[in-house]
Amino acid sequence: METVAFSILLLPLLSALITLLFLRKSGNIASLLSVATSGGILVFALYLIFNGENEVFTWQTTWMKMAGWELSFGFLIDAPARLLLFVVSFVGFLIHVFSLGYMADDEAKSRYFGGLSIFMFSMIGITVADNLIMIFVFWELVGFSSYLLIAHYLTTDEAAQASKKAFIVNRVGDFGFLIGIVLTYWAFGTVNLLELADLVDFDPSLISTFLGLALACGFIGKSAQFPLHVWLPDAMAGPTPVSALIHAATMVAAGIYLLLRIDFMFTEHALSLLAILGAGMGLYAGFCALVQRDIKKILAYSTLSQLGYMAAAFGLGMPGIALFHLMTHAFFKALMFLGSGSVIHACHHEQDIFKYGGLRKKMPITAITFLIGVLAICGVNFLSGYFSKDAILLTAYNENMPVFILLYAGAILTALYMFRLYFITFEGLARSDKAAHAHENGALMTGPLLLLSILAVVGGYHSLYPFAIVESILPDIELVAAMPNHLWMIVLGTFAWIVGAITARNFYGRVGDVDPLSEKFPTFFSLCKSKLFFDQMYGFYIKKIQDPMARFLEVMELLFISGLMVRGSAGVAALLGMLGKVCYIGKIHAYTFWFVAGTIGFLAYASGIFGN
Amino acid sequence: METVTPQHFLVLSFLLFAVGFLGVVIRRNLLLVLMSLELMLNGVNVALVSFSRTSLNLDGSLFVFFIMTVAATEVAVGLALLVALYKKRQSVFSEDISLLKN
Repeated sequence: METVAFSILLLPLLSALITLLFLRKSGNIASLLSVATSGGILVFALYLIFNGENEVFTWQTTWMKMAGWELSFGFLIDAPARLLLFVVSFVGFLIHVFSLGYMADDEAKSRYFGGLSIFMFSMIGITVADNLIMIFVFWELVGFSSYLLIAHYLTTDEAAQASKKAFIVNRVGDFGFLIGIVLTYWAFGTVNLLELADLVDFDPSLISTFLGLALACGFIGKSAQFPLHVWLPDAMAGPTPVSALIHAATMVAAGIYLLLRIDFMFTEHALSLLAILGAGMGLYAGFCALVQRDIKKILAYSTLSQLGYMAAAFGLGMPGIALFHLMTHAFFKALMFLGSGSVIHACHHEQDIFKYGGLRKKMPITAITFLIGVLAICGVNFLSGYFSKDAILLTAYNENMPVFILLYAGAILTALYMFRLYFITFEGLARSDKAAHAHENGALMTGPLLLLSILAVVGGYHSLYPFAIVESILPDIELVAAMPNHLWMIVLGTFAWIVGAITARNFYGRVGDVDPLSEKFPTFFSLCKSKLFFDQMYGFYIKKIQDPMARFLEVMELLFISGLMVRGSAGVAALLGMLGKVCYIGKIHAYTFWFVAGTIGFLAYASGIFGN
Repeated sequence: METVTPQHFLVLSFLLFAVGFLGVVIRRNLLLVLMSLELMLNGVNVALVSFSRTSLNLDGSLFVFFIMTVAATEVAVGLALLVALYKKRQSVFSEDISLLKN
């Protein structure tokens, strides 16, 4: 078992290393190697999932030892880890295959595929890690690979800025996470997940709201939740398959997975705060998505909103449901991102939806699979999103009314902006030359779309999955199944997507070059467009508060540390040196004189003339 | 006639040493500097012999032999250096061979 666990972890690292060392110039070989690696990961993952006899597999060894403190390196493959392994390896494999088509003409292929391999390595590391410090190490590594891949088009200013922003904003969250880990070690004396669970079980008073929230900072940064959500929409500057893999299906979902791994660390207060934050994000991101023109940014805001749903489910005490939604979301959101990639590829990197139109007839497979994704995310009855999303809504309805209202409004908005995206992109008439001349992509790109669309349809039937994969979500699904108001929720859910779809049809069925919303409700439009001024606030904070503070500290540093202490002590030494230099006149007579005078002086001192 | 006491020897020794020292410090000609060094050493020798005589043992006289030997070798080396120097720079004056400064 541990051999396979090591193989699945080190295989992508090896692939990245080979790409870095030998294949920098040969992009085609690098891409094939990377795809083969992801295939290998899929095989190993399936082995790990089905050969563990559904037991918790643990294995650990000493990583490093410092005095009395020991850091261990270990695997913990339990039910949630098996599910995430499945999602990461399966969706990852499809996206690798899609990348073969999407990146076919790229000149930096080997960098791209090497980056994907590093990402797979770090993501699998998070999945199987058995202690918080290991998770943190891989946590930073996914941050790094995300930075690397966002900046793939490194000659554009947008990509350079976006990668920097993603990296720095994530550091803010990770700092909180790190503090949380240190506090955890302080309070418990261990960072091993199983030992922590046992300790909390033994003495529940050990956990505190603050500790839980500090650890949740990691989730807030990585999953781009309020108030660190600003990086994800900008991160769309990277290649589209990267957005699908990292910024929709896996890495941002790793935040939810982290919460799940440490769900015993949260108090009631911390949980309810997370629920409200998540639900608020679900609604807020919906409003932002409603007014975007860039197809990928709409999907990015939709991802934010769905991550909010997962956080809300977790906050409501249903981690299994959060994981369930993570899985279905990974399928339909990867599907939609790859669909948008297909559209972008066909339209020569045009990303403005108002420049598309009428693509359904030209790209039937992309259009139909995209529509399936849209229907799934809107929660259309009996598709995958319906099950996971309505489970969250029902839980909220029965347990926390304010959260339910936020989430329900978010659900209507989801249907509205997703159908808006669909109608503007695929229906009507072509509004630009690029869209008029678009045509369907090859099998490398439509194949993954078709596979994912099947999963987006049937992914919600948990009984279809092998028990080994869905073990972790079954208990919570049974809890939800036992809740009242099922029928009422079906009516409400159906109402939500139908209202959204019809409004979108009436509003966006026939559009020109401008957003109809900006003409009819300009105030509302500009309010949504402003995204509530978060970017401006952070910009203001950095320019007006942080920069002056930094400059003040710089002056203080120049004055006191570099000026007074460093230059000052150097100055004293230089002064002494100058004094000494005066005696050095280059005449042997003077030296003899000083030598003898010095000897006499010493003798005089030794004989006690100076009265010591 | 006044007897010669050890103090007389010490005064003589001090004077010889002082004359030698002045010679080293004042003279520019390195040949004379070497001679003045010899004078300083011999000034010390006088003092040692007188101490040896006063304390009625041979320790001081023994030292004198050592010093004379060392002085002879020192002069041999010093003169050799001086000859080599003169061959190279055509001068035996100290200010002409201060190479590190100026």
